[in-house]
Amino acid sequence: MLLIVTYSRGARQTLRNVCSTHGETVVRRFGRAALLAETEFGALLALRLREKHGGDVQIEHTEPFNEFAAVPAAVRDAAAAYENRDAQSTPYAKFATGTDHPAPCDLRDSDL
Amino acid sequence: MRVDRDGAVRRGRAVDLREAAVDAAAAERAVREGTWVSCLEPGPIHDRVSPVEPGMALSVRAALADAARTRDVAAPQDDALAGVRAELAALDPPAVDCAEARRRVAEAGEREAALAERVSELRGKLTALEERGDDADDARAEREAAVERLAEVRTERIAAEQALSQARDRAREARDARARRLRLEDRAKNLRRDARDHLAASVRDAFAAAVDAVPGRGEVGEAGEFAGDPVTAALAVVRVANVDAPVVLACDRFESAAAAAERLDAPVLRV
Repeated sequence: MLLIVTYSRGARQTLRNVCSTHGETVVRRFGRAALLAETEFGALLALRLREKHGGDVQIEHTEPFNEFAAVPAAVRDAAAAYENRDAQSTPYAKFATGTDHPAPCDLRDSDL
Repeated sequence: MRVDRDGAVRRGRAVDLREAAVDAAAAERAVREGTWVSCLEPGPIHDRVSPVEPGMALSVRAALADAARTRDVAAPQDDALAGVRAELAALDPPAVDCAEARRRVAEAGEREAALAERVSELRGKLTALEERGDDADDARAEREAAVERLAEVRTERIAAEQALSQARDRAREARDARARRLRLEDRAKNLRRDARDHLAASVRDAFAAAVDAVPGRGEVGEAGEFAGDPVTAALAVVRVANVDAPVVLACDRFESAAAAAERLDAPVLRV
């Protein structure tokens, strides 16, 4: 999908107009951002916005997130275990110490 | 005011130009530009109400807010608004343009893919020649050259990606500034609206009295909303405001320019 983020009132207004005119291409609308379908038409709309508003329009390529395909089981298990922890106040780093769960610094250094 | 038109000079707070057949827009321009009307500088209120003519569009609330300003009413939002405006003026977000860096990455990537394909083609060709026992020296040299070029292009692509990544980091900071500008603009807009509402409310009663005092129909509700003819509202706004520059009147509501000036408590130019 194409993520469009706007950074000026003019760009935000144009994005609003685009979204209301081309609803079929809009996957999701947020305040000043929108996700467009990954079609050439979606790209046309995104590029038109950038042509008109320059640096006030950010376009990013996104894909749906599948944690079962993209994330190691250890990370998924750690997330589940941490959210089900007994003491709500325990920070993750402390929670992970002395367990098989990965340490936060290791997680930070590992790209998905 | 001094009106110098068609060789005749007229002076006073009320000037009647009906004989001169001047249209309202031209008269308003003359007030603004000082071409043949000499008078005090028109303020924002003029943009709202002048010329007063049938069918005019009038944003009553905004006009009343401007009228309140002429009476030196301040809004509680004024300080905050001035602060936001100063911050906006000082904010100059840098450009965010990574297009050239993106183009380099894409082109280097394409060249790399094409060369990689070429290298494997040549490898196949070389293997076939060697298996048949044919002379493979040329093919070997060609393949080695291609492998070398591939290594160069790969280095180029990696450099392009690093440049793009750096450009993206800079763009992120620039976008933070742009996001901040957007928030400030929204805040300024809200403050302006709140200030306008406050100012309009401050003259609500004076406006209701003025609507009754000027000729024409119209009513002012509890919340200050006006129902009626925009000409009536415009005349009432003029009566509420302290107006220095002549208001152009192109409506038949008064017997004379002098009567209008007296009722509206403002200099008038009747056309």
